[in-house]
Amino acid sequence: MSKRKGNAADLAPSKMEKKGPGQYVLGFFLLLYTLFCALPVLLVFIAAFTDEKAITQNGFSFFPEKWSLNGVNAVLRYGKQLLTSYGITIFITVAGTALGLLIMSMFAYSISRRDFRLSKFLSIYLLIPMLFNGGQLSGYIIFTSYYGLKDSLWLLILPLCVTTMNVIILRTYIANSIPNELMEAAKIDGAGEYRTFFQITLPLLKPSLAAVGFMMATAYWNDWQNALLYITTDAKKPLQLLLVNIQKSIEFLLNNSNVPASARAAMGGNIPQYSSTMATVLVVIGPIMVAYPFFQKYFVKGLTVGSVKG
Amino acid sequence: MKDFLRNTWKHRAHVVMALPAFLVLFFIMYVPMAGLVMAFKNFDFSKGIWGSPWAGLGNFKFLLASKATFINMTKNTLMYYVIFTALGTFLNVVLAIAIDQFVFKKAAKVMQTLMIIPVFISYAAVQFIVYAFISTDTGILNNALGMTTRFYSTPSMWPAILTIVKIWNSVGYGSVLYMSVLAGIDTELYEAAQIDGANKWQQIWHITLPALIPMITVMLLLSVGNIMRSDTGLFYQVTRNSGVLYPTTQVIDSYVLNAIFKSSNFGFTAATSFFQSVVGLLMMLFANGLVRKISPEDALF
Repeated sequence: MSKRKGNAADLAPSKMEKKGPGQYVLGFFLLLYTLFCALPVLLVFIAAFTDEKAITQNGFSFFPEKWSLNGVNAVLRYGKQLLTSYGITIFITVAGTALGLLIMSMFAYSISRRDFRLSKFLSIYLLIPMLFNGGQLSGYIIFTSYYGLKDSLWLLILPLCVTTMNVIILRTYIANSIPNELMEAAKIDGAGEYRTFFQITLPLLKPSLAAVGFMMATAYWNDWQNALLYITTDAKKPLQLLLVNIQKSIEFLLNNSNVPASARAAMGGNIPQYSSTMATVLVVIGPIMVAYPFFQKYFVKGLTVGSVKG
Repeated sequence: MKDFLRNTWKHRAHVVMALPAFLVLFFIMYVPMAGLVMAFKNFDFSKGIWGSPWAGLGNFKFLLASKATFINMTKNTLMYYVIFTALGTFLNVVLAIAIDQFVFKKAAKVMQTLMIIPVFISYAAVQFIVYAFISTDTGILNNALGMTTRFYSTPSMWPAILTIVKIWNSVGYGSVLYMSVLAGIDTELYEAAQIDGANKWQQIWHITLPALIPMITVMLLLSVGNIMRSDTGLFYQVTRNSGVLYPTTQVIDSYVLNAIFKSSNFGFTAATSFFQSVVGLLMMLFANGLVRKISPEDALF
């Protein structure tokens, strides 16, 4: 990587002549693909602020006939449930990511110690879940009937907390980018094992922790499956489960077209409308969109899995 | 043995530090592995997995007896695995090379940022976006083309729809890994090739692609173990779990999820899960053995 920057000055002339027509064709195709990726996301923003009537009459559009804040207002009317769900999602995201990063980096640090005989066994123990898996059904029955954790937030946190791949990424970073001499020196200066880890290794591990941590946080934020399987009370429902529930109630109304108009009217604001649904989607995906550009620079640096084995 | 114990005692701090993750893996990953024995049991909720009576191979016979469902979902699982892996890897590599070759670096950075965004949107949210595009009356596609295609009741459309959604979701992010490899290629190689008169395509073919091979191998190898598993959200949420679409959209994972919610057919489901786990394991061992033969340094273990 450094080589490329090193002789940037000599390269300047050849870089100039590279800007031929081919570059513009390439740029055109890249732009097309970018639009393919970004336009659907843009549609969420537009539809959230589109007038409901405009959608039911003319369909979704990038250029709506009439704008409106009703969709967003409807979301705000969820009020308490939305706040609760935000709280739950933020809690499991922060707690899960912090806990996962701490225990995974401790594990990664331990198995990367030379002369630690048990580390061979621990490495194999770590690898096996990647090869063999109990599957959803067995997990569901064991977590609910044997651990008695039905409707417990633990089941939103623990299953995503330790993954083999993430430990391997952390271990690779410790092995390749943190000189062992530093740890040895700390020990000679009288620091204990724990102090060495927390004061020397952990701070140096930061780029890798940022990359892994952001991917974990996204996984927690986006997890609908565990919530759908295990969470039953409203007070514990994360945001993604709200989305799933909206879809379920739309489906219910569609499949029961004989629900009388008066009954529908009685349900009032509970009938999810297009614009308010999109506004909810916006509320759910918004925070990640905002946080993501700040973490992007760590991706390439921290997620190098080229040397996953060790 | 005594040496080993002494070594472990000397490293007791490391044992303590490894312990929390060890326990989480044990209770979350290892115990459910033992739960797979229910494939050989007549499962009864009140008696639990270990208390239920043995059924021998009864569940597997049941599996073969109702083979239409089983074959359909296995076929779909494999079909989507092959499409997603082949097309996905190809596009990841093409996109990584394209961005790397593009000389307007600032524009490339902005475009890449936008391309990665979809991976951060959960399928629970994605399904509403997909709906906005393909719903019958209000969908953008139908309106733009003046059609009234009923996508949600036309199974034959869904392999294409799901492939597009999957690519939209994952290719931008997938290319990042390959770009990190490209950034590491020594530029002098390209200069030397240029002096020797190689054009752009020859440079890509002879320098860029060979440099990517190890990463491609590792990524394929990692994915092979999941050959029987799918991106559940894609098949469960984006299709709105619609029964009409099952012929082309039901995969093993979404079947199992449905079975859990309906608390039905546990014997059949357990047998399917067992099959899924064992095939995954065998494929992984096979792929790793193969890589080990061809280029040992890229093997996973």
